[in-house]
Amino acid sequence: MPVETASRVARTTTGRGGLLARKRHRELLLIWLLLTPALLIFLAYRILPLLWNGVLSFQFWSPTKPAEWAGLFHYEEMFVYDDVFWTSLYNTFLYMLTAPISIGIAVVLALMVNSRIRGRGVYRTIIFLSYPLMVVAVGIIWRWLYDERVGLINYLLRQAGLIDEPIAFLESYGTALPSVIAAAIWQITGFFMIILLTGLQNIPPSLYEAASIDGASRWSQFWRITLPLLRPSIFICFVIAIIASFTSFDLIYVMTGGGPGHATELLITYIYKAAFTLSQFDYAGALTIVMFVLFVGIALLGNLLAGGDAGKVDIAE
Amino acid sequence: MHNYPRWPIHAALILVSLVMLVPFYWVFKTSITGENIFVYPPSLIPVDPQPFFYVDAWYAIPFPYFFMNSVIVAVMVIAANLVINAAAGFALTKEFAGKRWIVLLFLACMMIPFHATIVPAYLVTSHLGLLNTHLGLALPAFSHIICIFLFKASFDAIPPSLIQAAKIDGVPEWQIMFRILLPLARPAVAANVILSFIWSWNDFLWPLIIIRDVEMQTLPLGLSTFLAYFEDTTGSLYAFCVMVLAPGLLVFLLAQRQFIEGLTSGARKG
Repeated sequence: MPVETASRVARTTTGRGGLLARKRHRELLLIWLLLTPALLIFLAYRILPLLWNGVLSFQFWSPTKPAEWAGLFHYEEMFVYDDVFWTSLYNTFLYMLTAPISIGIAVVLALMVNSRIRGRGVYRTIIFLSYPLMVVAVGIIWRWLYDERVGLINYLLRQAGLIDEPIAFLESYGTALPSVIAAAIWQITGFFMIILLTGLQNIPPSLYEAASIDGASRWSQFWRITLPLLRPSIFICFVIAIIASFTSFDLIYVMTGGGPGHATELLITYIYKAAFTLSQFDYAGALTIVMFVLFVGIALLGNLLAGGDAGKVDIAE
Repeated sequence: MHNYPRWPIHAALILVSLVMLVPFYWVFKTSITGENIFVYPPSLIPVDPQPFFYVDAWYAIPFPYFFMNSVIVAVMVIAANLVINAAAGFALTKEFAGKRWIVLLFLACMMIPFHATIVPAYLVTSHLGLLNTHLGLALPAFSHIICIFLFKASFDAIPPSLIQAAKIDGVPEWQIMFRILLPLARPAVAANVILSFIWSWNDFLWPLIIIRDVEMQTLPLGLSTFLAYFEDTTGSLYAFCVMVLAPGLLVFLLAQRQFIEGLTSGARKG
């Protein structure tokens, strides 16, 4: 522990420089005291759980049974026999489609609300409004919109003559996942728009002026100036969207509960079910480890593609 | 540069605004009319609006309990975040042996989403004897790493000469925190309050896991529980939904600018 070494240093140097050393010693003590609460929280609710998951995944264990070594049993079960695991993995990847779609829409929206038009502040507020809302409530709102009998969406589609029979969006295998993804896009796009807007506003106007003088069209200005300079902001949005595909529990739970069958099951909902409805804590631990490895892998890959330590440099030091 | 027509932009934005607002309208309409699910087509404008469903929901649901539970947890989380994150952020502005490792540890923890810890987190909370309690609900959210770094960044931006001057004037170290650093780090304080409020107020998975009694449920959990009860009595469910959404919406509209700034600063550092 650095505290101890520091105190030893302080003790040995006591004498002439004693006052200064004691002061440094007290400062170090204060620093570690200030760090302790945060460290305890993260030890108890991040580090320890991660390790515990690892241990659980190699054990037969439930709250009523003593632990027993299981080796790779759970992993074999998962990869070889468990179709639901593969379905939920596949769905989690499909759910990542939220990223390109919502970011694409958000770029267009950000450009529009950044142009000098009247009422842009109002537009920004309205489009952002859905993001800070409780996801559970958003899920309930969208369930109601998708309702087969009196849902607004079926009504509009029928009025427009696009469909003859109402579609049970959330109860059909083919439409359930896309419907949930649409709701997720509805909620998150406004947030991406705001992030991209901040990025747009950080682009120096002089660049555009220079480009216009050189006779560059608006179109090539967008591709040559705006988009390249927006890259860091777009990367942030991608990270947020990828994280969401691993953590979108609330929306699925409320809208479909993972059904019909397992058509909208994500890894996170499957982990929840394994642990808290089936009481298979050990198996849930193994599932979590796979999800975590996947998550870190994608994060590292994304970081690599973005050209190294994107976004992390400024906080590290 | 400004010679392009504006109306296509307005048209597109109005269309998008409609897409964003109509869901709210539709749910609000249902909450005051109570859709009969066997009548087609649904009416677009509210017919015969009445507050009955709000009264019905109020009596069917222990709403004050849910609300108070959410408030208690949010207050605990916000207070803890301010104290713990400001303290840790302040410590990280100093130089000390092992600082590199602490920063690395925090960054590593950031890579562990809370969702990847739910099973052991439940077991930890159970060992602490905190299942089904407010403290158990709040504890895992007591500190957010992003907020620690937000504090560190704004403390770093404060000129050291200011702190030196205070020291020379004989202000004790611990008072420097409250009298100089925190007032100057107001954006970080605002971001902290807003981020920890939203995350605690909207949190659903964690209460779902550790809460057993109806009286201990928070708003989102209560809403999802009563989704099943209200399945076909549409008016009351959506009245409840509006009641749950209203406080958050109100807070957002009142502190919109701080909200957006807080959320984007959270995202930039995340």
